[in-house]
Amino acid sequence: MPLLICPECDTLQRLPALPEGAEARCHLCEARIHRRRRGGLNVPLALLLGAAVFFLLANLFPLLTLHIQGNSQTSSITGAALALYREGMAAIALLTWLTSVLFPGLVIASGLYVLSALRFGLRLPGLRQVLKLISLVHPWGMLDVFMLGVMVALVKLSGTADITLGIGIQAFAALVILFAWAMSQLEVRQLWERLEEISR
Amino acid sequence: MSAHSAAAQGYIGCHLCGQVMKAAAGPQRCPRCKSPVHFRKPHSLSRTWALLITAMILYIPANALPIMSTRYFNQTSSDTIISGVVYFLASGDWPLALIIFVASVVIPLLKILTLIYLLISVHRRSLIKPAERTRLYRLTEFVGRWSMVDVFVIAILTALVHMGVLVNIEPGWGATAFAAVVILTMLAARTFDPRLIWDHQRQALAHQQTRPISDQGDMPRSTTT
Repeated sequence: MPLLICPECDTLQRLPALPEGAEARCHLCEARIHRRRRGGLNVPLALLLGAAVFFLLANLFPLLTLHIQGNSQTSSITGAALALYREGMAAIALLTWLTSVLFPGLVIASGLYVLSALRFGLRLPGLRQVLKLISLVHPWGMLDVFMLGVMVALVKLSGTADITLGIGIQAFAALVILFAWAMSQLEVRQLWERLEEISR
Repeated sequence: MSAHSAAAQGYIGCHLCGQVMKAAAGPQRCPRCKSPVHFRKPHSLSRTWALLITAMILYIPANALPIMSTRYFNQTSSDTIISGVVYFLASGDWPLALIIFVASVVIPLLKILTLIYLLISVHRRSLIKPAERTRLYRLTEFVGRWSMVDVFVIAILTALVHMGVLVNIEPGWGATAFAAVVILTMLAARTFDPRLIWDHQRQALAHQQTRPISDQGDMPRSTTT
């Protein structure tokens, strides 16, 4: 039985053999310390691939168009960040772009890279660094929060102006769901173990 | 319950990839992912305090300064975080008012208070309900990011409502201060080491009773890997 240390209370324990789909909790503080996913790498790989497609669509097409008295204004995700930048708010512009474009994009790309290497047994370069990148960047991705922001803005504007929903926002909604689903199917700790197996 | 810490038995767990390793003398890196490893997050308490105090200072401009100003034909108005919530309430959008109130007011405040409580409880070597305090910490780490929603709303409104001199929305400096509060409290939660909560528990236990020589079955002593 492999040794495991609870990251929250530092209790050293042995991991019992878990059935598929089961999770192990620390016997002292009850933090989830391990989870054994059902099935192989196909499901997270397929979900991430779908997320990648919708990520591109969400970023290539406009999210919303606003019409006020004959004028109309369109915005994409990057456009929202750029608008802040134009108004002299570089810090929150960068923050918005990093958390809703770059970081999620990096997680999707690195996830696809590592998963396809493990799934098809490819010895791609830099797998460890890429897997490490996922753990470092994922906590700072805020796709779901941005989606909530879009919805709040929609309601806020709906009283005063006409709004057209773009292809981007539908792709973005699909992206949020697929991305969250894919990440719930990904157990990074398990990927590290598989990585060790193939590099042996 | 015998639940000696891994540190007391000379083991370190990598915080990034979970690899278990024997502790060596001096600075050490994880053999698997090459991240630096430590028994406890270095200078956890002082770093968390520093980030938290900075967040508390910035909390003042975040609430006092306008987060955005709106020009709609002849009317110009500025909104702070609170007046934004009041606006939704006044226009009858109470579900929205609730979302913004929770994300922008309740979560940041509770997060700051929770981290202060956790820090003080560790400083005072508190033995009260460690499992509950750990759960509180987990929750703090989990919900913090949702506070960013107001910043994103401002970004979208600024981009969309941009029609020359007649209809325009501009971000205010309160938004930047608020975003800084959110990021600083997220960083503070990450530098706090919840294992410190349990260290005092174990010390107190060790004082009360002599430590058993052989542990229970779930506490291995032999080395693997």
